[in-house]
Amino acid sequence: MSIMEYNGGSVIAMVGKDCVAIASDLRLGNQALGISSNFQKVFPVTDRIYVGLAGLGTDVITLRERFRYRVNMYTIKEEREIEPETFAHLVSSTLYEHRFGPYFIEPVVAGLSKTPSGGLKPFIAATDLIGCINFAKDFVVSGTASSKLFGLAEGLWEPDLEPEDLFETISQTLLNAVDRDAYSGWGAVVHVLTKDKIISRTLKGRMD
Amino acid sequence: MDHFPTNWGRPRHEGFDAYATYPIHERPYNGPKDAFAAGVQRTQQPIVTGTSVLAIKYKDGIMMAADNLASYGSLARFKDVQRLHSVGSYTVIGAGGDMSDFQYIQKLLDDLITDEFTAQDGHELGPVEIHEYMSQVMYARRSKMNPLWNSLLIGGFKDGKRFLSYVDLLGTTYTASTLATGYGAYIAQPLLRKAVEGKEDTLTEEEARKILEDSMRVLFYRDARSINKFQISTVTSNGVWISDSIHLDTAWSFAEGIRGYGSQTQ
Amino acid sequence: MLMPDIAMAPHTLPTQHQFNPYTENGGTILAIAGADFSVIAGDTRQSEGYNIQTRYAPKVFRLTDRAVLAVNGFAADGNMFVKKVKQRLEWYRHAHGKDMPLRAIARLIQTMLYARRFFPYYVYNILGGIEEDGTGAVYSFDPVGSYEREACRAAGAAQSLVQPFLDNQIYFKNQTAPPDSAHPTHLPLPTVLSIVIDSFTSATERHIEVGDGLEMYIVLARGRNLAGLEGITGMQELTTTQDGERVFVVRRELKKD
Repeated sequence: MSIMEYNGGSVIAMVGKDCVAIASDLRLGNQALGISSNFQKVFPVTDRIYVGLAGLGTDVITLRERFRYRVNMYTIKEEREIEPETFAHLVSSTLYEHRFGPYFIEPVVAGLSKTPSGGLKPFIAATDLIGCINFAKDFVVSGTASSKLFGLAEGLWEPDLEPEDLFETISQTLLNAVDRDAYSGWGAVVHVLTKDKIISRTLKGRMD
Repeated sequence: MDHFPTNWGRPRHEGFDAYATYPIHERPYNGPKDAFAAGVQRTQQPIVTGTSVLAIKYKDGIMMAADNLASYGSLARFKDVQRLHSVGSYTVIGAGGDMSDFQYIQKLLDDLITDEFTAQDGHELGPVEIHEYMSQVMYARRSKMNPLWNSLLIGGFKDGKRFLSYVDLLGTTYTASTLATGYGAYIAQPLLRKAVEGKEDTLTEEEARKILEDSMRVLFYRDARSINKFQISTVTSNGVWISDSIHLDTAWSFAEGIRGYGSQTQ
Repeated sequence: MLMPDIAMAPHTLPTQHQFNPYTENGGTILAIAGADFSVIAGDTRQSEGYNIQTRYAPKVFRLTDRAVLAVNGFAADGNMFVKKVKQRLEWYRHAHGKDMPLRAIARLIQTMLYARRFFPYYVYNILGGIEEDGTGAVYSFDPVGSYEREACRAAGAAQSLVQPFLDNQIYFKNQTAPPDSAHPTHLPLPTVLSIVIDSFTSATERHIEVGDGLEMYIVLARGRNLAGLEGITGMQELTTTQDGERVFVVRRELKKD
């Protein structure tokens, strides 16, 4: 039995045209037994950053609080909001601090970062459970359905999707991936971050 | 009394298997059993072993190389062993792995060639047939959990066609324009692919020979179970040719400059 | 204390290396059934561990003019299994003077696989072709012979990448049809070929054991015209009889890294 599969769950993030999307399933299980169908895995960090935490349920809660604390400390000390790139490194170093006794979480970060000209640029990243960062230009995946998410995302994703098209793409990718994964599913939640609004929708999924 | 009707010969009734298509080789065996079968030793591990064999296709046919060492563990035990063997007039076979199993394979193949010659039916076995035969032998032995512990390369030239293939102790087979067994698969194969792929029809014998010699040199430098004495074989329209043993020139002077490698005075 | 006994046991026994008669040779196969055709495809890379043994080792085989078999798993078992299936089909031809029907081949394969229940062929089989009623069919098997007829199936190293994609694109899973309409039960041939190619390019991108080449076999029902194959380059016909089903093969390059 792997600890990474103890509670199940999956997260994905995708880049669109001037927007990003992040989505997760809502299952919490005890191995094959389903426990909850509203277990949140994606959390807002700032108005323009979301983080998704797939892995061991107890560490999801611990890390969420830890990131909240560290982001608050950063905001107070720096007197400004943290940027997505910086937050990705904060995630990475937090995990690497526990290199030889890690949190069993592989986080996904999605956000819109400020450009020098004052615009917003989509940003996504994912790390492994000890903080090795993957800055992808297209999509990142994590969790028990990761191989399925890769297969679907590689087939469905295309560059420069508008927010509503990106929503459809990430939703189809997630739903069809978790339907082939015994440890993920039981509903899903999707957030699309654009420059002037955040679209958050809860999706119905197969309940088996 | 044999109680299995399918063992009796022709079916009793035309309605039952009129054309004797029942898989005859799968008939139950009811003969005497070997009372000491449990005491028979099977090959569980190789003892005296040969290392890599390399082979490539080139303009006129195929070229194969293997060194002359048979190791006993880390001991360089036999330093004048032939690991390339000609089979009939069109094929050469090279072996890595257990050398006693290879000698048994050589006997099988020599007997096979004798049988075919005796038939005098105007047919001769080419590399394709030798490959098929060896793949069936190797797969049959692995299926009896009593493998012949070898990786074999089979190369040949017949009816204007080059042929190069691999067979191993599991019965796994494949063909490609460059092949390498053992450590050669890790060290020499990338070099061979770079030098040969796409140039199979233009490489001359001299170029092919240089590619194999260079690869054998690299293997000698890095594979501790190898020796700088090897043979090269070609199979072309002129038939099979296996060279005398070739000694490689190697240079070790660079080691002097590396601390902890050569002899250091301080 | 129970611990010391258990912990000591392995040390007192001599270490025994047991010969392992199996290995995995990577690669992926896939088949999709249409209304009056079938497409059966596989990549051509054969590997063991991180070694690419060859860039061209076929995994898809024409059995008859209406049946194509794809095998994936342990290559030596796969080749032997195909050889034995072909032999049984030849015996059938000699006994009955015709090719075995697809559903009968499917049952034959299950019987042959189950015959080796306690020393299995380590092979996942997908059988595609045309049934006697002229419909496209796909049968998929596990190594010991469990099988079912389906509209599509992926197997092998990248099954987990490809199968959910097919659920979405072939079965329209998680998609709702526009009002007053329904999803098609069978897709047209050009759409199916596009999905097959997309599946393999995706799998090649994200799976190290998939790549080098793609072989797609297309089986057309008796009397069906070549509609949908117009734009396909380098197509080769493998049909051996007249006025029956027709078999074609298309070869494509895949990335070699």
